[in-house]
Amino acid sequence: MSPGALGLTALIVYLAVLVAVAERARRARVDLSPADHFLAGRHLGVFVLFLTLYATAYSGNSLLGYPAEAYRRGYSWIMATGFMMSIVVVFHALVPRLRPLSVRHGFVTPGDYIRLRFRGQPGVDTLRRAVAVLMTIALGNFLLAQLVAMGLVAHEFTAGLLPYWAGVVGLAGMILLYETLGGMRAVAWTDAAQGILMLCGLSALLVWLLGEAGGLAAATRGVATVRPEAVAVPAGRELANWASTIVLLGLASVVYPQAIQRIYAARSGSVLKRSLALMTFMPLVTTLVVTLIGLAAIPRFAGLGALEADVVMPRLLAEWTAQGLGSAALATLVFLGALAAIMSTADSVLLSLGSLVAEDLFDRPRQATETTRFGKRAAAAAMLLAVLLALVPELRRTLWRLIELKMELLIQCVPCFLLALHWPRLRAAHLLAGLAAGTALAVGLALAGQARLGGVHVGVLGLALNAAVCCLLAWRSDPAPAG
Amino acid sequence: MEQGGIPRPAGRARLRRALLAAIGVLYVVSIPWYRTPGAEPELWLGLPDWVAIAVGCYAAVAVLNAAAWLLSDVRDGADGEGTAE
Repeated sequence: MSPGALGLTALIVYLAVLVAVAERARRARVDLSPADHFLAGRHLGVFVLFLTLYATAYSGNSLLGYPAEAYRRGYSWIMATGFMMSIVVVFHALVPRLRPLSVRHGFVTPGDYIRLRFRGQPGVDTLRRAVAVLMTIALGNFLLAQLVAMGLVAHEFTAGLLPYWAGVVGLAGMILLYETLGGMRAVAWTDAAQGILMLCGLSALLVWLLGEAGGLAAATRGVATVRPEAVAVPAGRELANWASTIVLLGLASVVYPQAIQRIYAARSGSVLKRSLALMTFMPLVTTLVVTLIGLAAIPRFAGLGALEADVVMPRLLAEWTAQGLGSAALATLVFLGALAAIMSTADSVLLSLGSLVAEDLFDRPRQATETTRFGKRAAAAAMLLAVLLALVPELRRTLWRLIELKMELLIQCVPCFLLALHWPRLRAAHLLAGLAAGTALAVGLALAGQARLGGVHVGVLGLALNAAVCCLLAWRSDPAPAG
Repeated sequence: MEQGGIPRPAGRARLRRALLAAIGVLYVVSIPWYRTPGAEPELWLGLPDWVAIAVGCYAAVAVLNAAAWLLSDVRDGADGEGTAE
């Protein structure tokens, strides 16, 4: 069997399993309420919650983009392990306060917290919608990036048997199908299967690569020979960027709507904290592994330019496949793991997008069955738009400047949760002013062509201004009425 | 400190805060501010020394963070702080 035919067969089997899981999830649903559809009836246990958190956090970018980044930047990309772990650390500031409120008040979306926290205050609806708009843009970016990656990986995976457009349309349709049928249950169960695939495939690839190089020390010496600067201690600007990336990713990632909704969806607080305790180890077995894979590729593909580095992972897999039938089967597992990682991120994003648009942007009531239907229609419309953008590069390029600001925009929502949960004196108007100032600074600098100043991301600078405005206004205002 | 009439286990909370502070220190140490930029490193465990230190710090963060989560008090149903109601 040719590698392409092997890939196509594996893909068909995998998609058939996904459909079966979705049908099982549909039968397991209790009712048509938004809580049942978007949060699996708040009954996710430790194992499934952990794996869905894992599969959602590690997108196609982690598997395909991070090895390329490690190849380009050298050993300083070890920062990726730190910033992925910082997400689980920052959750300490969010989960213990937000979880009890979410259970008591039946939250479904991030906006439900803002509604409750600032109830009756001027500006509360504007703040909720502003946060929803920033989150929607971030999710839209994420969805589009996953669709493009899905088409490319499916094309590579089947050695060109499946064209890019067919990969985008077919896999997007598949996600929409199982997400509509089974909601969060289908997403979480398929995420669990996808998480296991990812873990097995990556570990096998690293073992092969290090075996080929003669061990980790030999691989490092190989890198030092062809690119000494990749192993040398980084310069000050790179160190500032290291710290800034930990802050940016750690803070922005905890306010991803899909992350917040998994806090709501856990069966209990105890389940949630045990899942997060497990999650904290995952950067060591995922991010560190893909970083080492990218580094081990430096002496192997010494002549690749910065742009061509994006093909590091597909080229490694192609070489691995050529080693024999066993290697080809394992390479297929990695490809399937990558595809699984992309699909699991896309499905979570789509589910959150539907609920966010229905409840936070269009004010649909939280308990109504009609809200679930509206959310599903919104998700379908978002998917259709994203597929269109993924298929028309000219359209995608036009919007790219806006959507590449994902983390810079999302991090501006941080004070609305992390500060508001800990500081009763904050009002909606303070947060709204901070949000406007921080977003204007981050977007203004980004549109002026400044992604970083002195290695620090413009989103982090925007957040500093945002938080400063909030604090200044809160200190100058009367204390919040005691409740 | 009390929440909803249930006394909070102060010892666990203090230990958790200490673990989180230690995690902060590990993050600071993980970034090689203290080394001369461009310096040629030695190999430790097959990695450049500054990378091995960073990996060691992140492994320690994982252990401490897992312990901090297991010491956390994540309640269901009782109202937490952070609402103005």
